[in-house]
Amino acid sequence: MRIPLSRLHLLAITLLGLAISGAQAEIRETSVWWLPRNVNMFGHTVDFLFYVILILTGVTFIGVFSVLVYFLVKYRSRPGVAALHSHGNNTLEVVWTTIPVFIFLGLAIYGNEQWTQMRLKTPPADALPVAVIGEQFGWNVRYPGPDGKLAKMEASKVNKDNPLIDSSDPAGLDDFTTYGELVFPVNRPIRLYLGSKDVIHAFYVPEFRLYQDMVPGRIYDFVWLKAEATGKFQLACNQLCGQGHYKMFGKLTVSTVPEYEAWAKSKAPSPAVTAVVPPSPVAMNQK
Amino acid sequence: MTTATLAHPATHGAHEHSEPTGWKKYLWSLDHKIIGIQYLFTSLLFLFVGGGLALLLRWQLAYPSTQVMPNGDIGNPASLAFINPQFYNSLFTMHATVMVFLVVMPLLIGAFGNYLIPLKIGAGDMAFPLINELSYWVYVLSGAVLMSSFLVAGGAAAGGWTSYAPLSSVAAYNGTQMGQSLWCVGIFLNGLASIMGAFNYITTIVNMRAPGMSFFRMPLAVWSLFITAFLLLLAVPVLSAAAAMLFLDLNSGTNFFNPAHGGQPLLWQHLFWFFGHPEVYIMILPAMGMVSDILSIFSRKPIFGYKAMVFAMIAIGFLGFIVWGHHMFVSGMNLVLSAAFGVSTMVIAVPSAIKTFNWLGTLWGGSIRFTTAMLNALSFVLMFVVGGLSGIFMASTPVDIFVHHTYFIVAHIHYVLFGGSIFGIFAAIYTWYPKMFGRMMDETLGKVHFAFTFIFFNLCFFPMHNVGLGGMMRRIADPTAYEHLRSLQPINQFITLAAIGLGFSQIIFLWNFFRSLKYGAPAGNNPWQATTLEWMVASPPGHGNFAVTPTVYRGPYDYSVPGHKRDYIMQNEPDAPDAPLGAPRSTVSVG
Repeated sequence: MRIPLSRLHLLAITLLGLAISGAQAEIRETSVWWLPRNVNMFGHTVDFLFYVILILTGVTFIGVFSVLVYFLVKYRSRPGVAALHSHGNNTLEVVWTTIPVFIFLGLAIYGNEQWTQMRLKTPPADALPVAVIGEQFGWNVRYPGPDGKLAKMEASKVNKDNPLIDSSDPAGLDDFTTYGELVFPVNRPIRLYLGSKDVIHAFYVPEFRLYQDMVPGRIYDFVWLKAEATGKFQLACNQLCGQGHYKMFGKLTVSTVPEYEAWAKSKAPSPAVTAVVPPSPVAMNQK
Repeated sequence: MTTATLAHPATHGAHEHSEPTGWKKYLWSLDHKIIGIQYLFTSLLFLFVGGGLALLLRWQLAYPSTQVMPNGDIGNPASLAFINPQFYNSLFTMHATVMVFLVVMPLLIGAFGNYLIPLKIGAGDMAFPLINELSYWVYVLSGAVLMSSFLVAGGAAAGGWTSYAPLSSVAAYNGTQMGQSLWCVGIFLNGLASIMGAFNYITTIVNMRAPGMSFFRMPLAVWSLFITAFLLLLAVPVLSAAAAMLFLDLNSGTNFFNPAHGGQPLLWQHLFWFFGHPEVYIMILPAMGMVSDILSIFSRKPIFGYKAMVFAMIAIGFLGFIVWGHHMFVSGMNLVLSAAFGVSTMVIAVPSAIKTFNWLGTLWGGSIRFTTAMLNALSFVLMFVVGGLSGIFMASTPVDIFVHHTYFIVAHIHYVLFGGSIFGIFAAIYTWYPKMFGRMMDETLGKVHFAFTFIFFNLCFFPMHNVGLGGMMRRIADPTAYEHLRSLQPINQFITLAAIGLGFSQIIFLWNFFRSLKYGAPAGNNPWQATTLEWMVASPPGHGNFAVTPTVYRGPYDYSVPGHKRDYIMQNEPDAPDAPLGAPRSTVSVG
């Protein structure tokens, strides 16, 4: 669920004085010590929770640190001053057990509620479907053609040449593909279909607060997003995937809708996915 | 009780085997103290190996274009001149493997577990001395196997210490079939050593406590090792089984983890993290226990809330087995499962909070002596708080998704494992070195070492939180390959310089450690005026530990008892000469 920019949210950001200006439109070039700007509608929830936890943990740390330093100074060994002989205090034990229980449970329940809402919120019907299939060491990207539909994805169809596509599906005839290049139209929901041809990869774009493992043998169809600003970003594989892992990145551009449409029109349907691919020689035992 | 301090009593209970002398002592002795010291030296050696690997990693991350790293494949001289990303992957894989399996576990459990348990419970040795010695040599073997993997074709394992399948399980994907296979063998052997140690410790603690040493009179160090031994016994076999399956996948055509032939990659993750999360507590609980004792000794105060501390550790032990799923939120977990793991992960923070409050309570009203050991113990508390608090970000699923595979988590784990465990280990070394070697370490050098370590540690690891939030992924050989990370490069260089400082600071420690063996001031039986049983005997204690089995009359923390002439009463001191054996003693509770 998108959290409105509540007063608490604003307070959190102002208090810390650490929010980096959202004015950057291009890939970051100046030193960034903090969260990069967020351009995804779901990212607000992540950032809000982050700041809530930061305040809670920050206050706790300052408290513990102050008490520690105070005790170290006040109770340093001095001649003639004996230590107190105390084995503890049951009331205190109950108090400092109960309070963290409520704080941590509250945090867990709240965080889980946010997560559930992010995950259960179904993408709108007009969401643009985009398939991103990782392989060592690059990204197979597939966009729908004019019909707005992607070919059906089938984990069992994967082989060296086929990035999980059911090649018999006519919806795929007009799909076009890119390798390592993503363009998202701004303010339009995008539904991702994520998968992997070989090892585990992960789809990671920090400005989208988005990370999803892509375990081979599965298709992840629940990830969706909406970019709220245009700009150039970098998609990175963020799950160690072998020798070339460190340079498995892709270009991600959020452009205006007309720009996106012009880009899509410039792409010819990809012959690699237009039907009559012979049945996969490698039989997969996927359920 | 000075009669109990004979260096080598002629006869002593269960000790019928003859004790080798000279250098042979360090090969074949079955004495738990010698085995503990063997573990200490071997794992300190590996500490420097693991640290060296870390410095190579940092060099590469800060100055990736200097192209100075040798290839992992030493057989190929052509590759000596340029950076090899595969070798980088081997470096971080082996850095973590060495630090976890060959340094922190053997230091805490092998060295201090062995050394302290029998002495602290008033036993002559471990229950199974031969298995104890076997455990050490199997550990050495596992280290040798893991080290040898740097020399084989393809280099050492390069799939991360977590070895996620199918990258780790299919040779065509990882290019390190031999290295990864040796990793499996090394981990399997290491697990064998841990299991042998674990049931030895449990048997010893359950059966061999001195008269009067009830469970609730055991020092917290012993409690922590006792609980840790159970975690080892239940968690390590799972990893051993997983390593065996991975070995079969790599070499024998099975497909447990390969989805291309019907296997299940997530099975590896479940097996690994079912071990892996209890492992986190295996690597911190013994440090918590020893630090509790050290805080009490140098505050001259009983530990605050002794039973709460024991129950908190037991709770951590139980909960540690039901939180493993939080390592897998990012794999696309079912919502009900992620809810359950999220809640259990938050709940496990509670006992850690209890322990922190009780440590503060122990300092309250104390008479604090700032020895090197105490400084290290205090920074254990503080750094553990930082590491614990940064863990809360990961327990919250939406935030976890963002920071999980960035340098934020690298910062977190190092605050727990270096800031926590390693500072705890330093505290323990400075505390028990006099007992082990009969001489004191130099306090001035110790404090200089502490100051440099503390400062450089924080300069090195704190900024990792920032680069992580800035979006820097872990496990990438060259951050400058990413346009969006180039702005972080100055911080990466700063971290590397701090890491070098941290590494070089340890030379002071080594110097102090080895110099004091010969030139340290004689320690005497009880240099810290502590209460537990190991301090009643000579330093170092003779073979068999106690000439006469001690009788325990009180809990482990009788410091600053009002009306007593000394500010400590040892556990084997009766209230009065005619006090009955193990008579309960009233304790003061402040309300």
